[in-house]
Formats: sequence, structure tokens, C-alpha cells
Amino acid sequence: MNATARRAARPSARRGLAEHPLVLAMLSSRGVGPAIPALAYLVVFMVIPFSLLFSFAFLTVDRGEVVPWSFSLEHFGSALGDYLFWRIAWRSFWVGALSTFVCLLLAYPVAYLYTTLGSVARKLLLVAVIAPLLTSALVRVYAWIVILGGRRGLMNTVLLELGLVERPVRILNTDWSVLIGMTQIHLPFMILPLIAVLVARDVEIENASLNLGAGRVETFFRVTLPLSVPGIVAGTALVFALSYTNFIIPQLLGGGNYTTLAVQVYEFVVVILDWTKGAVRASLLLGSCFVFVLLIVWAGRVATRWTEARLS
Amino acid sequence: MSERRTAGARRYPRSPAEWVAGAILYALAGLSLVLLIGPSLIVIGISFTEKLYISFPPEGFTLRWYEAFLDHDQLIDSAFVSLRIAGWVTVLTLALGITSAFSLVRGRYRGRTALSAFMVSPQMLPGMVIGIAVLFFGSAFGFYQSNPMVIIAMTVFCLPFVVRIVMARLEVLDPSIEEASANLGAARTQTFFRVTLPMILPAALAAAAFAFIEAFDNLTVALFTASPRGRPLSVELYTLVQFDSSPIVAAISSLEILLALLMVFVIGRTIGLEKI
Repeated sequence: MNATARRAARPSARRGLAEHPLVLAMLSSRGVGPAIPALAYLVVFMVIPFSLLFSFAFLTVDRGEVVPWSFSLEHFGSALGDYLFWRIAWRSFWVGALSTFVCLLLAYPVAYLYTTLGSVARKLLLVAVIAPLLTSALVRVYAWIVILGGRRGLMNTVLLELGLVERPVRILNTDWSVLIGMTQIHLPFMILPLIAVLVARDVEIENASLNLGAGRVETFFRVTLPLSVPGIVAGTALVFALSYTNFIIPQLLGGGNYTTLAVQVYEFVVVILDWTKGAVRASLLLGSCFVFVLLIVWAGRVATRWTEARLS
Repeated sequence: MSERRTAGARRYPRSPAEWVAGAILYALAGLSLVLLIGPSLIVIGISFTEKLYISFPPEGFTLRWYEAFLDHDQLIDSAFVSLRIAGWVTVLTLALGITSAFSLVRGRYRGRTALSAFMVSPQMLPGMVIGIAVLFFGSAFGFYQSNPMVIIAMTVFCLPFVVRIVMARLEVLDPSIEEASANLGAARTQTFFRVTLPMILPAALAAAAFAFIEAFDNLTVALFTASPRGRPLSVELYTLVQFDSSPIVAAISSLEILLALLMVFVIGRTIGLEKI
């Protein structure tokens, strides 16, 4: 008896589980049923923990134990009233914003040229973009330590060989190294959304613009760029959020005392073990990040409306 | 794949300003590509150096740093910890992600769009804050940093990737194929296991690859939830990068780059890289 025949003879072999009423209900469901396990998981392990995180910001927490009836707004107040806090927050913001801008500047040409390539070249380019995306951020930070670090580092060797500098320069552990690291590490997150909108765009509109006598540069700025605003918004929001909340890059490339808001969160939670202060910073970091992302989305809407108004 | 070329590009001669703009375009794109690929190549180059410290250009050729990694019990143990964590996270996210994707694409109920937005919302949360929230949550109930805690937090972090990839596949799936199977007399379970499942298998594989590599590499979640003993590889490396300048980190990094390339291959073969 061959395998198929045997299976036919014993139809109940796999039926036990497969025809369980629960399985049947899930398969035929047009309802919310199959999503319930994941929903429950996220409620228990995301919604409740995040509520707890925010509430810790108002409570006194001693070695992981909440002190009962210790509700107070004082922790937020003391953070917001601290000059140092604002200086650190400002640094987090401008490092994030600047690296996002440079990312956009570097990513757009890649995404734009991608749409002019043949299918093999497109595949290769995607490998070059996605492979770094799937490589651990730590590995890429390490690469920059190798490149920028020390007198024998690659950067200094090249600069000295070319005669651009006379003495080795210090790049690691400065603003520069943090900016370079953030820009490079988040580049794929900017390129992919841009590719998505630029591939989907209608090239005929650009051809029409060219045929009507506009130059290529003018066509780009008046047609292509406005059409790609959704991709710019998606990429910018994502890269800013990632840069603003990253603490690994400032810590490893900025030297031991390069503090941003995210680094402070890490230090309060893991090193100093002051969970209340950590929760305050984490809440403020998350809240402000959310506001900035909304601002980026809003700016995109305004830009789109503005170009549409100008065209009509 | 649809080929879209800027068809008008060749028809008009370029003005000097356009030459300059074109040159800037190519220069920036070239710089991006160098930035994307260069650092990985340099790390791979360093991993074969004969010198005892990181220097460039690397000198000689040796596999001693790879051997040093294999002989380093603590690092090998942590690599297995990471593999176990990544395995569990992959299984959990696939189970939760595939079932919910079915409901989110095929369900007919109010609030479905809101629910999809909620399911992919962890994507907008930094790994660090997810790690801290789960750490606080656990400690409130007397649980301390441990590998199960890493798995729990990491599953929250990785679930959106799986939900998104599987949903994208289900959305383009033609339900009439399944209807045909049902019309030909197949039972619902038979249709599911013989028709539906094979059709979403590529997406499930790609999602698994994505979740696995994210969980394996992730540092931001693990740093807050991993116990000091039996730490995952990412956390071990984090300490090593800060205090050790030997090229052993370059060797491990090269292996991680290789793993990433393998996952790129899996994703490229299953759903295609354009879908990421």
C-alpha cells in the first residue's frame, strides 16, 4: 500500500487536531476571533507595561518596589525645571534632526536612480540596502569605531596619506562621530520608503513636463519631488524617531560622557537604578518623539496642499 | 516586474546646469553606496588581520580570530542563548502574527482598521522603551531579568514585521482558488492545509527570517531584560566593544554579516526584496 492510499485508509490520522472545533472556528471565522491571541498578548505585554511605565513616573520606586501612596508630580517638575535636562534634550533633538536631514540628502539620489535601473541592477542595489538593515546595529557601530578610531584608524591613515591633515585628527568621541554613525546606520530606513513611492510614480507626468519645455532640474523640483512627499514623510518620521531614541550610537561613538535623553534613560534604569527618574525621562522621550513625528506628518500635508494649490 | 524608465530622458540635450545637477546626483548616490557597503567590507577585512589590535589596512591573513571566538566558551554560550531566544521569538511571532493577519485581512467587523493599526503599533516604539516597560511590568509581579523576559519583550518588538509581511501576502491572495477547492469537495481544514497554507508559505518564511534575525541581533530590548548571567550574544558584544580592542569582535561581526546576507537571500527567494 503506498503512502497516499494509507492516508486515505486512515483519514483520522491528522484529523484529531486539524478538525478540532477551535481550529475549524478559526479557519472559517470572518470575525475578530483569530486575532484575539495576538491582541491579548499585546494588551498584557505592551499596553499594561507601558501604563505601568508612565505611572512609575509619578511614584517613588525603591529597588523595583513601588512605595504605596507616593503619587507626586514632583518628579516631572524637577526634570522639567532642570537646565541640564533641557540642554540634553536639545542635543538629542538637533543630533536627530541633522542626521535625518543628511540621511534624506544621501538617500534620495539612491532611490531616484534605482527607478532608472534594470531589474538585475535593482536587485543588487536592494541587497546593498537591505543587508545592512538586517545586520545588527552594534556591528555597524563597531565598524565606525574601527574606521574613525585612533591614530591608526582608517580615516586618519587616509587623511595623512592624502596630505589633507598634518597630524591625526580626533573624530571618534565627538559630535561628528555620533552624526556620521546615526546617518549611516539609519540610511536604509530612509531609502526603502523613498524607493516605494518613486517606483509607484507615473513617469508620464515627468515626460509631459519635459515635452512642454521644462528642463530636467525644473521637472524634478516641480513634479518628481512633490509627488514623492509621502515617501519623504515616512522616511523622515522613521529615521528621526530612530535617531532621537537611539542610545547605543551616542554611547559608543560619543565617548563615555556623551549624554542624550535616551542615554539618560539607560543610565537611570540600568546603572543608577533610579527607576522613577528613568520612567520620567522615558515618558518625556516617547511623548516628545510622538509630537515630532506628528509635526513631520503635518508638514508633509501642508507641503502637499501647497503644491496642489499652486498647480491648480 | 514592471519596468519603468524615464523615457523622455534621452530626447533632449542636457544643459550645463543639468550636467552639474546630474553630477551631484551621482556623487551623492555613490557616497551613499560607499557608506552602505564600505563599513561591512572593512570589518570583514579586519577580521583576518594578523595584528593584535584593530588597525587599517589589515596585515597578513589568519583565521585566528575566528578560532579565538570558537574557543571562547562564554561567547559561544551566549551565541546559543541568542539562537534559543531567536527561535522562540520566531515561533511565537509566527503563531500570533499569522492568525491575526487572517482576521485582519479577511475579517468583516467594525474596528478592523483600528485593530490593524494597533497590531503594527509596536513598530513605532523604540526597543529600549519596550524593554524597560516589560522590565518594570515583570518586577511589579516579582519577576526579574531572565531569558523568558527577553523572549516576551522581543515578541512585542518583532510581531509587527510578521503581521505586515503576512497581511501583504493575504491581501493579494485570490480567494477564488480556495473557493474552487471548497467547491470540489475539500473540507475546510483540507483547503486550509493544502491550498491556503502553501500559498502564504513564502510570506511566512520571509517573516520568520525577518523576526529571527531581528531577535538574534537585537540589543536595545535585550539590554534591559536579559539577566546578567547567560546573556545573549548582542549584550556580550556590547560589553566587548566597549572594553576590548582585539579583532575578535570583527570576526564575530563578520559572521553576523554573513547571517544577515543569508536572511536577505531567504527573503529575496520567498517574497522578493521589493516587498520589505
